[in-house]
Amino acid sequence: MVINHIRSYFLKPVHLAPLAIFRMAFGFLMLASVLRFIAKGWVYDMYIKPKLFFPYFGFEWVKPFGETGMYVLFIALAVAALFIALGFLYRISTIFFFLAFTYIELIDKTNYLNHYYFVSIISFLIIFLPAQRYFSIDVSLNKKTAATYAPNYFILILKFQVFIVYFFAGLAKLNSDWLFHAQPLKIWLPAHSEMPWIGSLLTKEWVAYVFSWFGCAYDLFIPFLLFIPRFIKPTYFLVIVFHLATSLFFNIGMFPYIMICLTTIFFTESFHIKIIQTIKKIFKRPLNDSQITFSPKPLPIKAFVYLLTLHFLIQLILPFRYLMYPGNLYWTEQGYRFSWRVMLMEKAGTAFFYVHDRTTNGEIEIDNKTYLTYMQEKMMATQPDMMIDYAKFLKAEYIKQGFKDPIIRAQSYVTLNGRGSREFIDPQVDLSIQSNSFFQNKNWVKKY
Amino acid sequence: MKIRNSIFILSVSLLAVVFVACKKKNQDKKEEEETTFDKTAMLSNYADNVIIPNFQSFKVSLDSFVISFNAFIQTKSPATLATLRQKYIAANVKFQHVSTFEFGPSESEIVRSNFNTYPTNTVQVNSNINSGSYNLGTISNLDAKGFPALDYLIFGKNETDASLITLFDTDPKAASRITYVNDCLTEMQNKTNAIVNAWNNSYRSSFTSSTGSQIGSSLGLMVNQLNFEIDLLKNGKIGIPLGKKSLGVVLPEKCESFYANNISVNLAKECLLNIEDVYLGRSAAGTDGKGLDDLLEDLNAQHGTESLNTAIKNQFTLAKSKLNLVAEPLSASVNNATSTVDAAYLEMVKLLVLLKTDTPSALGIVITYQDGDGD
Repeated sequence: MVINHIRSYFLKPVHLAPLAIFRMAFGFLMLASVLRFIAKGWVYDMYIKPKLFFPYFGFEWVKPFGETGMYVLFIALAVAALFIALGFLYRISTIFFFLAFTYIELIDKTNYLNHYYFVSIISFLIIFLPAQRYFSIDVSLNKKTAATYAPNYFILILKFQVFIVYFFAGLAKLNSDWLFHAQPLKIWLPAHSEMPWIGSLLTKEWVAYVFSWFGCAYDLFIPFLLFIPRFIKPTYFLVIVFHLATSLFFNIGMFPYIMICLTTIFFTESFHIKIIQTIKKIFKRPLNDSQITFSPKPLPIKAFVYLLTLHFLIQLILPFRYLMYPGNLYWTEQGYRFSWRVMLMEKAGTAFFYVHDRTTNGEIEIDNKTYLTYMQEKMMATQPDMMIDYAKFLKAEYIKQGFKDPIIRAQSYVTLNGRGSREFIDPQVDLSIQSNSFFQNKNWVKKY
Repeated sequence: MKIRNSIFILSVSLLAVVFVACKKKNQDKKEEEETTFDKTAMLSNYADNVIIPNFQSFKVSLDSFVISFNAFIQTKSPATLATLRQKYIAANVKFQHVSTFEFGPSESEIVRSNFNTYPTNTVQVNSNINSGSYNLGTISNLDAKGFPALDYLIFGKNETDASLITLFDTDPKAASRITYVNDCLTEMQNKTNAIVNAWNNSYRSSFTSSTGSQIGSSLGLMVNQLNFEIDLLKNGKIGIPLGKKSLGVVLPEKCESFYANNISVNLAKECLLNIEDVYLGRSAAGTDGKGLDDLLEDLNAQHGTESLNTAIKNQFTLAKSKLNLVAEPLSASVNNATSTVDAAYLEMVKLLVLLKTDTPSALGIVITYQDGDGD
């Protein structure tokens, strides 16, 4: 009985309007994001200016393409985003967007942001969805591919992904710094004491607690509330309030708007149908829909089910991989990324690197600015895996300059959630011979 | 429908209750404890008691340096030369008290690089004087003008007073040399005047009214430049001569104002003193006003078992005392008292960590222009 219920819940035909709206929202938001990225000069700052890049373990082969190449890639990305929005050459556009966007993100972990990771995942998932079969250029060019209904699971996939993002972000907030010390909000909120109306409130300690607890409760419960169609209006009201508040207080760019727009997938069919009817009226398109239900062929759908099962399994496991490593997660950051740990800590550091020459036994102190951008230096100073990358770069660089088998060591100090800086790593360790493998604990990071 | 409405009303009223509660509690609190830290007052203290007076006194000493050069040209004597050198030193000391403020008008004039890129490129200076055609505005001339060039031209490389006077008197290139010094001085005067004017006019109010901690806010700019300055102190003034970038091989000729020979340590001390002034919000006259120290205390920032402010103040005391043990000239000390200089260097490194890592972190200052991690 229950199995049957679940089966019919997954398989029941639903209207494709929500998926079409999602496609358009995602496409236009990505178009805006990519154009904003180019306009702010970040293509140059992040992918052309740096002298070295910090690749991900296993993706060391990913390299930037040079100035022309990078700009061409970004413009192509913008075009693909527009095509996704319009539903034009949908499959090719989504595949290209996913590959190109992910490739760019893999170039340098300095630029890692959870919301870029989110974009990569969404662009991957929508490759497989029939989001272009309704209200798109593709179907007006080829009417045979058109459909109005499709099995519910195509939409559920996106809902589950949003669920995972919120819920894991909420789980991550269940830690003593967040709940019982109101850190890092106790630091971040008073920094806005000049804001009109609420400025003086933000300096109060209890306000930081209210924000911390509210934020945690929001992340934990909103994904459940979103699934209840009756509550969608008040739930969505909370979504808007929450994300607008974060965009007001934190420097997080497009992300709040992405979440506000994409959570509309949880609205009822009729809401989305109404929007599409309105657009159709504006462009004087015929209003009537066909009654065709899209039913995927058995073989690709089987592969798709396996692929998705794998994807969601990985999604559920990755946030817990930190348990493999000893030590404090926030301090060592082993297993920190790709886990929806967002706005969780105020961490800053200073690292002095030394190149030791075995022939003369002399040592030089490196001016990090010579090799790193400001952002890279800032990120490297608190993340052990980036220190290894940097040390390996310095070793190669100084061998070129005639040093014989140099030792690269670093003295670094890090402050975490307002606790005052302390020594971060063992200053005697030769970082250039350390491993960045996932399977090796970085035992040279000092105990927290 | 009914449930939906009531949920909606519930969540709105919950928010309202939280908001009202916040407001009410805020009013209660206001009565018992002091009001929020007044950032405008802090910035006004910086502008009116620290930055503007420091620039004004730099301008005065620069002008008087120019006058002393004209007097020297009028009467080329050991006495006028001695006065000129004194005035050079006085102006350079005052410069240490404005170099930190490389934002707003100073940033547009690129003061640090234009006034004080050392060591002096003596080859470039001589070639400029010999050819008589140069553009001081180009990047290749950055280390051939400003204080480093004047240091070289006024104090000379192994010159006696008499032979140095000759260079401005009977030397075939004397006229060209005088013009060159004048051009350097004029550039510095023009830039300084522009900065003083800007602070006296519109920039003061834009500085004091930008009370946030976001990108480009006054607090953000100041803390950033404070960090930049202590980096220059640690590396440029001490570390590089000490051999920290050259496998321990000391490089005495890289000392600041190398040709004046006995002021490098003093310039470092003045620079450190200014960094402390900026941290404390202390005027040149020694009055300690509202500054970063008070803000950190207000935010209750901690460092281990003590307050961050106490840790920083103690570290200033320590760094100053170690630097005081270093004897002039620095170019000799790096050779014959290496461990003394090294001890001062180490304390500056510790101070740098507190100012560069703990302070911005405790203040929640955004320094990068890029988006941070999303929620």
